[in-house]
Amino acid sequence: MSSSLSALLSVTYYEPGDDHLIELVHQRDTAGRRRLASLAVEIYAPDGEPLGTVDIDARQETLDLGELARGYLGRRSRVMIAFDARYDERIFPYRPHHYGYLHRRGSAGPPLYYAVNATLGGVPDRIGATGINNFETYLFRTDAGGGEHSLILGNVSRFSPTTAQVFTYYGEARLAQDVTLAPKAHTEVALAPERSGHRLARVEVKALFRLATYVVGRHPEGRELVLFDHLFTYFK
Amino acid sequence: MSAGAPPEELDGLLLCYCTGLTIGELRLACERGHWPTAGKEHSGKLCTGCLGDLLHCLRRFGAPDKAPIGDAATDA
Repeated sequence: MSSSLSALLSVTYYEPGDDHLIELVHQRDTAGRRRLASLAVEIYAPDGEPLGTVDIDARQETLDLGELARGYLGRRSRVMIAFDARYDERIFPYRPHHYGYLHRRGSAGPPLYYAVNATLGGVPDRIGATGINNFETYLFRTDAGGGEHSLILGNVSRFSPTTAQVFTYYGEARLAQDVTLAPKAHTEVALAPERSGHRLARVEVKALFRLATYVVGRHPEGRELVLFDHLFTYFK
Repeated sequence: MSAGAPPEELDGLLLCYCTGLTIGELRLACERGHWPTAGKEHSGKLCTGCLGDLLHCLRRFGAPDKAPIGDAATDA
């Protein structure tokens, strides 16, 4: 891969039983289809073990993660999938985006659409953005129904383990827990729905560096995803 | 260079996806005492995702304790 190209590493998580499609390039224009220069997909077990790397034809528009992950899942309930893209900034003046479609196979529930977490290279140097993005937060709807909420956290480092702090807020109360992740490891952290009569209102993640994080909601009957979304950059 | 330094076989890999810094460029800059090199000053400070690996490599490549990335690490 040429070093003159710009780079972006985006991350999502695949769970068996889901139809999970990734639109590799979301941007379109009337002049023609825009394409990545190259794309490699890496798959990691929860403990960080590399399960495989697959070179993807960058002309491909949509990637079926179920098909891609089938040979690597084993009995695992989740794998981390990293999209290591190179692109020409003349074609993508900002940066390309990957978008996801997620639906439990056979479910009558609605599908989820989300932007894949641009974990590395999300703020290219040429834009000059300097906001801290390793402190993130998510506000829960106060009228949210039942179900279970959690965070999925992944460490995309090659060498560096890390400990993230997860803070949850219930009324005036704040609970803290530490989550330590080896390089490429990922985990799901359950968030209690209420405490002392107060519902879960907010969650924050603080870490030395940006992690591949999603806030997750699951249907109260079964493990079907009903929420799979970014946290938001935390400014105070 | 200290124990645990990334092997030279990894030199072509990107370390900072925002500035395009490779492991080999960082190794060479540290060996020559030229870190940070021109154009790579913001490594680790933009998307921040590589900051852990950057600190790991700086320490093992023998960068001075007061290497510029220390400011970003303190802020985080």
